[in-house]
Amino acid sequence: MTATLTQRYIAATVHSLPPSSQDDVRAELSASIADAVEARIENGEPPEAAERSALNELGDPALLAAGFADRPLHLIGPRYYPTWWRLLKLLLAIVPACVLGAVALGQALAGEGPGQIIGQSIAAALSTALHLCFWVTLVFVILERTGAGLPDWTVDNLPEAPESASGRVNLIASLAFLGLAAGALTWDRSAGFVRIAGETVPVLNPSLWPWWMTGLLALLAAEAAFAVVLFARRRWSAALAVANTAIAVLFASLALTLLGRGQLVNPEFVVLIVERTGSSDLPRILGVLVAFSVAAIGVWDVVDGWLKARRAAPS
Amino acid sequence: MGEEFDNHLQELRRGTVVLACLQLLRVPGYGYGLLEALDGRGFSTDANTLYPLLRRLEKQGLLTSEWNTDEARPRKFYRTSPAGSRLAHVLTADWRQLTAAIDSLSDQEH
Repeated sequence: MTATLTQRYIAATVHSLPPSSQDDVRAELSASIADAVEARIENGEPPEAAERSALNELGDPALLAAGFADRPLHLIGPRYYPTWWRLLKLLLAIVPACVLGAVALGQALAGEGPGQIIGQSIAAALSTALHLCFWVTLVFVILERTGAGLPDWTVDNLPEAPESASGRVNLIASLAFLGLAAGALTWDRSAGFVRIAGETVPVLNPSLWPWWMTGLLALLAAEAAFAVVLFARRRWSAALAVANTAIAVLFASLALTLLGRGQLVNPEFVVLIVERTGSSDLPRILGVLVAFSVAAIGVWDVVDGWLKARRAAPS
Repeated sequence: MGEEFDNHLQELRRGTVVLACLQLLRVPGYGYGLLEALDGRGFSTDANTLYPLLRRLEKQGLLTSEWNTDEARPRKFYRTSPAGSRLAHVLTADWRQLTAAIDSLSDQEH
């Protein structure tokens, strides 16, 4: 009867070893355990207690087996951990958000209700995040066990300095883009992008002039002023992030309100699209696409500003 | 010895068990016997570290092994191979150098 505990211990140790070494380990381990039990009995321990304490001292059979088979006792070791963590953070920051947007857009285009859109897109983003965590980790666990090499880290892998985000190039790009946008708004009204039989059909609703359009142009001017201030200050700060958020939210709510009320686009232009393409669905689909773009750009702008402000903050 | 230094002591002693095994096994020995011998000479080691270590050293060609079935209980006897002897030599020389280096550090203090 006293043999059963030892037999169970040896079986638990040996079963995960390669078959070629199983018999050898079994024979050696049973001799070692018998020696240890014998020594304890000679010291006056009762046989059963001696066996128990000898096996307890050997510890978890899985640990012992890992030692025999030279297996790692971790999922991802120090060699791969930083790369794994960097990659996972990068993917989790990008992919679920893209899936959320894409699924929401698809549902909206299919004409689903708001509850359905929100539920489906959040569920898709969550399951994407879960899949990312699982598969990325699995790949690194396999790498850890096959010992495939990673390129050595060099200084080229250093992240960009945060200051470069507020440089001259950014100022010029922002001002040029804002100038083009303001030009496009006025051009649409005066000369027109769309001409049918010599007659101008503005894309944007002409009744937005003068008040709504003045507001829109004022926001563009505010963006330009913001870009100049950012350039002068050289780095982002919490105050700048707040200002950036305010401008982005104002712009998005203005555009989305007008779009939602059906006031943004010239009704004549809508009629024209339906006539030309023969598709009465097209204006609605275009509307959804524009609304999504406006919302996505706004959210990106706000998040980007806060991230840059946090990075530039003296720690 | 306070428990607060256990980690550092463990860190410092890691590797000395290999050298002790290579030296002791110039005379053939088996798992449990070696465990006792190490303990008696101040290299106390856990059984679950020593047994896998012996197999690893054998796999690296630093130990050779042979089953002895003369007695009632068959035992696997390990013995330091020529390569193991060379390693023991190198490790001992390095240990002496380290001792001298450490001594020179403590000399500076005084």
